[in-house]
Formats: sequence, C-alpha cells, structure tokens
Amino acid sequence: MKRIPENGFARFTRLNILALLCLLPGWAKAAELQVPAVVEAGRSFSISVDGSGQGTFYLVGPDHVVKRTVSLGGDLQIQASDVRAAGRYQVIVCGATALCNSAMFEVKAAQPAHLNFFLHPSRVPVSTRDSIDATAFVFDQYFNLVWTPAAVDFRITPASGATITRRGSTRNGVAWMRMDSTPHEGRVQVTAVMGDVEEARVIQQVAAEACGLRMRAVGSGNRVNLETDPVRDCNGNTLPDGTIVSFTKTDKMGKSTVDTPIKKGIARVQFSVHGRAQISVACGVALGNEVTLNGEL
Amino acid sequence: MKSIAAVSWGLKKVKPGLFKPGFVKAASFVIVACVLAIAQSSPKVDLPQVHLDADGLAPRPIEELTGTTIARHYALAWRDLAEALESDRSGRIDEEFVGFAKDRITHRIAEQEQAGLHVRIVDHGHHLKAVFYSSDGAAMQLLDEAQLEIQTFDGNKLLDTQNGPHRYIVLMTPGADRWYIRDLEEVSAESF
Repeated sequence: MKRIPENGFARFTRLNILALLCLLPGWAKAAELQVPAVVEAGRSFSISVDGSGQGTFYLVGPDHVVKRTVSLGGDLQIQASDVRAAGRYQVIVCGATALCNSAMFEVKAAQPAHLNFFLHPSRVPVSTRDSIDATAFVFDQYFNLVWTPAAVDFRITPASGATITRRGSTRNGVAWMRMDSTPHEGRVQVTAVMGDVEEARVIQQVAAEACGLRMRAVGSGNRVNLETDPVRDCNGNTLPDGTIVSFTKTDKMGKSTVDTPIKKGIARVQFSVHGRAQISVACGVALGNEVTLNGEL
Repeated sequence: MKSIAAVSWGLKKVKPGLFKPGFVKAASFVIVACVLAIAQSSPKVDLPQVHLDADGLAPRPIEELTGTTIARHYALAWRDLAEALESDRSGRIDEEFVGFAKDRITHRIAEQEQAGLHVRIVDHGHHLKAVFYSSDGAAMQLLDEAQLEIQTFDGNKLLDTQNGPHRYIVLMTPGADRWYIRDLEEVSAESF
C-alpha cells in the first residue's frame, strides 16, 4: 500500500481533535477526592468524590482495609468503625477508566478514656530520695495513644498523713514523676487522675535500715541467750519479720556466726561459749552493740 | 562456591579412596542445595538501616547494649512488617510486635488479603529518636522519621505510590530476649 504524505492542514486538524477529546469532562481523568486533613478516631465523616459512573473505593488504615464499588460524583460516607485506630489513612478511588486518585488523612486519638499506669517499685524503704517512679500512658477508648499534651495529677495517699497531689503533663502521651518515699511504713496509694479517668496503684513502704541496734545477753551455764531490742529504723518503724540479724561470737574455739530472722520485731539466738567471748550483732549495714563475756556464766 | 570447594577438598583429604569425582559432585550438589535452601528460608528483604539517637533521654539513660538491641529489633520489625504487608501473611509479626501493634497489623493483613490488596514497602532507612525511657526500664518511647516508598496494589495493578518521609510514634517494651514494638502509630509532619 502506498502511503499518502500528510499535509500541514490535516495534521493540525488531527491534533486539535485529540486535544478536544482530552478536554471533555470525565475523559481520561481520575476521580478527584476531597478528604479532611484530620479526623477524630471513631467519628464518621464523608469524602467528596468527583466524576460519574461507578468506581472502586479503597481505604487503607493501620488496622483496617476497605474495598467497595461506589457511585462517583457525590459524598462517600466513612463509618465510625472504619477509623477507630489512630494513624495515617490512605484513600484511593479508581474510576471506570481505571485511573486512580489518592489522598491521605490522619486519624487522631479521641478523648482520654484509659490510663495505663505503672508504679515502681512495689516495695520501697521509707524516707528514700527519688525512690518511687510513676508513669502514666494516656489512651482513648480505642486504645490509641493520646499524644496531645494534657495534665495528669498523681494523688499520693500514705497510710497516715495527708494526701499530696503532684501534677505532671503528658508529652507524646506519657506523663511521669519521681518522688521520695514518706517517713512511715505501710501502704501508699498513688492514683493517676486525668479528668474522669482514674487509675490507682499501691506500693508498700517498709522500714529502712536498722538504727540503734542493741542486744542483751542472759547466761545459763556455758550457754548464753542473746536477744535484741525491737529492731527499728531511724524513724521508729519496726523492721519486718524475716529480716536477717547476724550474731557473731569469737571465743577460744574460734569465730562463729548465726543468721537469724526477726520474729515479732525481735531476733534471738543461743550460743555456747568457751572461755572469754566477744559477741557482736549486725543487721544489714547497721552494726549494733558488742557484749563481752568472761566464760564464767 | 569457595566454601564448597574447601569442604570437598577437606573430605578428599580424610579418605581419598572414598571420594570419587561422582561422589564429590553429588556431595557438592547436596551442599549447594542446602545453601540454596538456607538462602530461600532466610529473609527476602534486607534489614533496613536504623539510626538511633538517644541523647538527652529521660528519666533513665540508655545502656549501649540496650541501644544496639533496640535498633536491631526495630530493623527486624520493619523487615517482617514489609514482608507481611507484601505477602499478606502475618507469620513472623509476633516475633517483633506485641499488644495493640500486633493486633492491628494482623487485622489489617487479614483484611488486605480478603480485599486482594498488597502493599510493597521500599525501605530507605529510619532515624529513631528515643524520647522516653521509664526508670524501671519497662518501656521506651521513640519517634521515627522513616524514608519509605509505599506502593499499594490491587492484585497486580499498582493503585498508588507514596514516596517520602513517614513519621511514627513508637512504644517498645522489653521481653525475655528482645525489645518488642507495642505501639506503632503514623503521624503527620505537623503533629510530629
């Protein structure tokens, strides 16, 4: 077949027709999307989609994927259940021409509904500096981290004495504070409070190291019974039963140590002594008095 | 192949009569097959680069070993996440994710598969900034600025490509031998 050369007019006309076809509404054009930049978790809203005819709608979120056929040229309703997880969501709409358009929006956490609260440690000696740490993570009803700054109150209620409140502010959804333990043993309740949301934890304050440890010796033959005074810390708190007290005896038979637990606040032990003996008592880092026996008890 | 040659040579040295050319060829094939099998069972996706910045971390400073472990497991988590989103199988997700993060990813993958979608992540690296480390060492919060190319497919059809920085708020907690991602939330640049 012989090819006929195209003249200038024919080429001009062909290009114009092509340009006109491309400018026709809906021709080779993806459906335009209008989405809000930010929505609250668990709230329904609508997306505006241009175009006509049927299309495919996709919603891709952190925990949820939706694909459905939709009619273009109107509002698409996004259900509250589609946007429960906070994060960035992708909306894609593909028209009948198979061209797709996409948009992103962000779902932010709803109002605070849960406090995830940690109190550390579970037992702490009294009057110890910076010994208690409280950390609260703030979540909404869908367990999204609420990272807009907010005030969290830490209400500290000791076994005896007045309640103290310390205020902290969340940063990226976390509020924390550090505090000293109070001077008296017993349970201390710390409650994290944010609006109507409260979460309480209990910590047990125990006596600190023994203070002014003293023992008495009562002899009987070549035996000696040793008994401490009630073992207390410097604030007068009784050390808990089970705390170990060490008695060390040195006589002509050598050196021997007996570790015994405190029972009802007092530690007791019995030694046999041979000749002159020296006996000392200790509890943790606290050293008590020494007793010297001449062996003629 | 160098190691296969070395092994074959070693075997010949032990008992020269036993190893005729045919046997060596067969043994080499078995070793090659094993190497290939190992290669196939090993991750398809390379570990992404993770840079951890823990300057000024409060209330507790980070130990060097903890920092190394966190960076490694964060990289493993992203590798596993990318594999899971592409294959629509959540098989290895529970090795690096727990709690809400695991539940959400698992749910998404199940729905992705149902819809016939898959997502390919081309990971160009993560810049992690540790912002909170609890005194008892039980939780660490980090901000991640990741350079990702995210391609969304319906079957074989590419629907969309998002290429650029993505920002995440991450909560990690320690387990017996690793740090797990407990929460992973993408946020916009304005919120970061």
